[in-house]
Amino acid sequence: MTVIQETTAICRPSGTLYEVLDLILDKGLVIDVFARVSLVGIEILTIDVRVVVASVDTYLRFAEACNRLDLGTSGGSGLPDLLSGGVEKGAKNKSKGALSGAVEAVSDTLSKKKGDDEDGDEEKKPARRSSKSSGRTTRKAKEE
Amino acid sequence: MSTYVYGIVHDDESLDGLELSGVGREPAPVRFVRARGIAAVVSDAPEGLRAKRRDLTAHQEVLQELTRRRGVLPMRFGVVSQDDDAVTEQLRDKGDHYSALLSRLEGRVEFNVKAVYVEEEVLKALLRDDRALRERNESLRRSGGGTPAERMAFGERVARALEERKGRDAATVVRPLTEHAERVATGPLVDDCLTNTSFLLPWKGREEFLRRAATVQRETDAYMDVRVNGPMPPYSFVEPPRN
Repeated sequence: MTVIQETTAICRPSGTLYEVLDLILDKGLVIDVFARVSLVGIEILTIDVRVVVASVDTYLRFAEACNRLDLGTSGGSGLPDLLSGGVEKGAKNKSKGALSGAVEAVSDTLSKKKGDDEDGDEEKKPARRSSKSSGRTTRKAKEE
Repeated sequence: MSTYVYGIVHDDESLDGLELSGVGREPAPVRFVRARGIAAVVSDAPEGLRAKRRDLTAHQEVLQELTRRRGVLPMRFGVVSQDDDAVTEQLRDKGDHYSALLSRLEGRVEFNVKAVYVEEEVLKALLRDDRALRERNESLRRSGGGTPAERMAFGERVARALEERKGRDAATVVRPLTEHAERVATGPLVDDCLTNTSFLLPWKGREEFLRRAATVQRETDAYMDVRVNGPMPPYSFVEPPRN
């Protein structure tokens, strides 16, 4: 996503789709003569969406964070302070969302209709998406 | 087929060559519905559209691209019109409002700033700054943590102190950035953030803003995680027309 790519030059690489979800879902123009598609669905799903998007982002962050770790040269005992701090923070912030999210996701699954799991399938393919997204690739390159 | 609406832009010939892909499993080509010097950015609405990562990203990316051009009035995700004709009618009807809003927002972008505490660090800071709290903590530690009731009471004092601190720390983040913004909008405190604030600023002011944001980040880094996203379309600064 371009949003992130353009901020990382100066700001910490923390932005994700998840970070701006509240804007995309709850701000922006709504015109009363137009419907908001499955309005009810979206309102109910907002929590669910936050959860799913959050956990995918968490996986991506973990994967990226681990990728940057060079255990061999850092002597095994300690990463540079800055880096380990960043990783911890990320994990703390995000895993909380993902965990409490799991509970909601489970209860949500229970109430879901059969054949309504299309979203799940799609959310399982972040690798394909991120390898296609030039934004993410650029961002990675910048960080390295 | 119903029409998915991404946003509204000034109409000009530069739109003709613009190829953007929209929402849907097979990304729908983005087209423009034009009237009265403005254009709605639309595509066919896919069946069973819901707020999925793929479509949220597509929505966002269409708007980002338009933001890099002359600017756009972003729609909230998921706005659908019955058909193109209904869109044209809306543009004809409320064209003045949209034109004026577009001109007001031209060359301007939104930056969103969210700050969250790094829990362990802010607790340390809290104890450092509050002698009574610190002493109580030490005495509890000496007695092996204290009784459940004592722990509960102490935890409540900590929570209150933290709550008091939040407003001050939020201001530490927001106040310096406000100087660089034309307008400021406050969002809901999602995910325990202590501030969720959007800033509207001229595109050419963004580097200054980001430099200031970087300073804020550095100064609060010990106990806060300040996350800056942008430039984005002005999601928080668009008003619908009055009826």
